[in-house]
Amino acid sequence: MSRPPLRLTVNGAPHELPDVPGEERLLDTLRWRLGMKGTKEGCRTGDCGACTVLIDRTSVLACLTLAHEVEGGSVTTIESAGEPTLERARAAFQAAGALQCGYCTPGFVVALAGLLAERGASVTEEELLDGLQGNLCRCTGYAAIVRAVRGAREGAP
Amino acid sequence: MPRARAPAAAVAPFELLAPATPDEAIAALRTGPPGATAVLAGGTDLLLDIDAGRTDPTRVVSLRRLPWRTLAWSDGALTIGSTLPLRAVEDDPALRGRLPGLWEAVHAVGSVALRHRATLGGNLGRSAPASDLVPMLLALDAEVDLVGPGGARTVPLDRFVRASRATDLRAHELIRGVRLPESRPSAYRWQRVRPANDISQVAVAAAWSPQARRWAIAVGGVPPRPVRLPEVEAALGTGPPSAAALAAAADLLVRRLPIATDRRASEEYRRHLAGTLFERAVRAAEAAPGGPA
Repeated sequence: MSRPPLRLTVNGAPHELPDVPGEERLLDTLRWRLGMKGTKEGCRTGDCGACTVLIDRTSVLACLTLAHEVEGGSVTTIESAGEPTLERARAAFQAAGALQCGYCTPGFVVALAGLLAERGASVTEEELLDGLQGNLCRCTGYAAIVRAVRGAREGAP
Repeated sequence: MPRARAPAAAVAPFELLAPATPDEAIAALRTGPPGATAVLAGGTDLLLDIDAGRTDPTRVVSLRRLPWRTLAWSDGALTIGSTLPLRAVEDDPALRGRLPGLWEAVHAVGSVALRHRATLGGNLGRSAPASDLVPMLLALDAEVDLVGPGGARTVPLDRFVRASRATDLRAHELIRGVRLPESRPSAYRWQRVRPANDISQVAVAAAWSPQARRWAIAVGGVPPRPVRLPEVEAALGTGPPSAAALAAAADLLVRRLPIATDRRASEEYRRHLAGTLFERAVRAAEAAPGGPA
């Protein structure tokens, strides 16, 4: 049985991927098929948020998403350049020095970008921090992350 | 080209179908291998079950193309389609005012990224003892709308949920949506270790029915399944309970539940939580707009 190629736009670039099996997770498509290792595999059980990517500008856990389920969708990963909310989140993390080992950082930055895109300029600090409950930093370096979140909100247009 | 995939990530292959209509979806279930055909809504439970080896389907039927990502209000009643992501339920502009407890329960499910995929239908199909949605929906007298080879039928949620992973769903039947008959001042209170990562040790849903002028109370997180507690509801009376009535109802609630120790909480702690969360949920529902006065 031949399967139609999987069409995905990743950070603005269109892809037609042949022979992607039904059981393949979006996380593996990104990391192993496209070689984009910025999206991290942490727990692979939906608990840690390290694999967070945006699909059509809303955050999802790439470890719990089948690649074919987002067929035709537009994926944004930490490798994206020029996406406004992602740039803002990234700049805020840089300015606050909000990383220790850095493994959770792509997930945090992408999740924050998703919240900024979803909630717009009216977003509150409480909404942002509540919305990042699903991202875990095992270095427990949350103080700087909270500063980054504040910075990203204040940088709102 | 990069390597094809990490060997450690390998799972057993399955055929993924995405039928375009409910009839096609039912046919895909009927013609699938018996015992090895699974339904995929958001996938946040199914894919974990597959990874953990609790299920090993060779055919997975995705509901993503079905026209069930809906939410509609009609005279205070609410109908939610089974495949609408929970984040969209939470973001409905009227929900927090009309059914505050349901907003709290939906908001309590996992993380934002998880709620962008997870669905109401998936949560009911999984029917977990610590489901956040089942107790609140029980207290709102939810009815489950099902469709299968024999046509459509409606079942009260209390009859639909049996135990963990056990429901009234018949062979090749799908959950199409849920209907809530009226807006109710309501509240959902829970306790867990980490908000986005753990499930509730105990959770209490309280709702006041303005039409029937009575309380509805349900408890989750206590196996084998979330339950309504009619005796406790009656003990609360037909309006705002006095402090004494609330305390007596809390005692009754703790005595009526099959509270036991498991890896999430001790029996003693659960008893304490059940009474405390119950009192908080009732007082919060009472204070919600339209609560009993």
